[in-house]
Amino acid sequence: MAYLNVDEIEAALENLAAAHPSATELVRLPNLTAEGRQSHALRIGPADAPGTSAIVVLGGMHAREWVPPDALVNLAADLLEAHARGTGLRYGSQRFSAQDIAGVIEGLQVVLFPCVNPDGRHHTQTTTEVMWRKNRRKVQPGLDPGCVGVDINRNFDVLWDFRRHFAADSRVSASSDPCDPQVYVGPSAASEAETRNVVSLLDRYPGTRWFVDVHSHVPAIFYHWGFDENQTTTPSMSFRNAAFDGKRGRVDSAYREFIPEADLREIKDLGTTMNDAIAAASGQGYDLAQSFSLYPTSGVSDDYAYSRHFVDGASGKIFGFTIECGRAFQPPWAEAEDVIREVCAGLIALCVAARTQSAAGPTA
Amino acid sequence: MADDDVHRLTLRARSLAELRAFLDGTAVDLGCRPVVRREGDEFVVDVYAPMRQIDQVRSARSASAVTVTVVENASEVGRARQAEVGSGNRFAQRQAPRGLGIKE
Repeated sequence: MAYLNVDEIEAALENLAAAHPSATELVRLPNLTAEGRQSHALRIGPADAPGTSAIVVLGGMHAREWVPPDALVNLAADLLEAHARGTGLRYGSQRFSAQDIAGVIEGLQVVLFPCVNPDGRHHTQTTTEVMWRKNRRKVQPGLDPGCVGVDINRNFDVLWDFRRHFAADSRVSASSDPCDPQVYVGPSAASEAETRNVVSLLDRYPGTRWFVDVHSHVPAIFYHWGFDENQTTTPSMSFRNAAFDGKRGRVDSAYREFIPEADLREIKDLGTTMNDAIAAASGQGYDLAQSFSLYPTSGVSDDYAYSRHFVDGASGKIFGFTIECGRAFQPPWAEAEDVIREVCAGLIALCVAARTQSAAGPTA
Repeated sequence: MADDDVHRLTLRARSLAELRAFLDGTAVDLGCRPVVRREGDEFVVDVYAPMRQIDQVRSARSASAVTVTVVENASEVGRARQAEVGSGNRFAQRQAPRGLGIKE
């Protein structure tokens, strides 16, 4: 085997949908990329119905991180084949019963968007710029021809305007310079087609309660927030409060980001569930930690997903995670296969837990 | 090796503050997210930079408590890895992919 190229990712999704029509829907994303590519997601599980819960899983947001898209295509193939054959699934010593698989496929919408940034992936797989991270947004008039692209994972509409929201000395991981090679945030929040495609999925599946953005590498599972250290006692000290603009993101400062204690407990429990499955699959677990450690981040997908219900009371609460899988951006394929097994084990464990919670009713 | 090749480095320190002090003022690529991992009693982060930038950082921080290890030429490794990317379209004949999980 070998890494999937972008044409193969699209074909794999189409063929899986064609082979399993009663258990899937090929979801056409509404925005073409800068290079004109049409992206698709694959919904596995029941058709839309009131009260149906969903989990949305992304891969391939950063171009050079080659394993996550392959992992999500693999996940789709494994879930659908096991369900069709009435079997369980095993990765290393992590076993999921046939009942687990049936429960997920028949009771939960699993929405997989394996390659958010196909232009960037194609660029890294076919040019000498293998370390490219961003999308391939065209150069703005008057700029250096090399100033291509936006970091999609700094382009989401949550504290996107980092210069206003964060302390000047916070060293927030973001840049307003279109020529920044890594973390240019874009000209406006959700300016990028790829970002809007992700947002469209969350809008399209209002029953979404869990969200995972699979990246590489650390290895680790990260949870909210990335803005600052967490606190559970002062709801007014939050990203929505403009009084704290210019004060966020400093280590050991008075500002800390509010997260309800029950949410934090549930997020840690779900993260532990994923990590236990990863450890069983490979013999070694990942770190499980808050995503704020060295420096803060703004405009990131997982925090955006969780922020939506704070901003809009009509939106459902979405618990988000980022999995930083494996130990390299582009490991040898044989090593990538081991990482794929880890990711699949962790994500299926989350799906099983999500299905159990979904059957128990909505989260308060 | 091209002059602008990006190298992968591992930085190790006993505290986050030491890592931050080392990195402040540099423009190195901190990987996917600006996060650290714990290895024993050390804080560890992988960063990416061209060798000329690495040399500048090292010379400016010669007394730092941070240990710097050059792991590999990441650009060179990546270019070699392009040989392990599928060519054409292996699913063009409408066959569905199969996963690595064991069905049992």
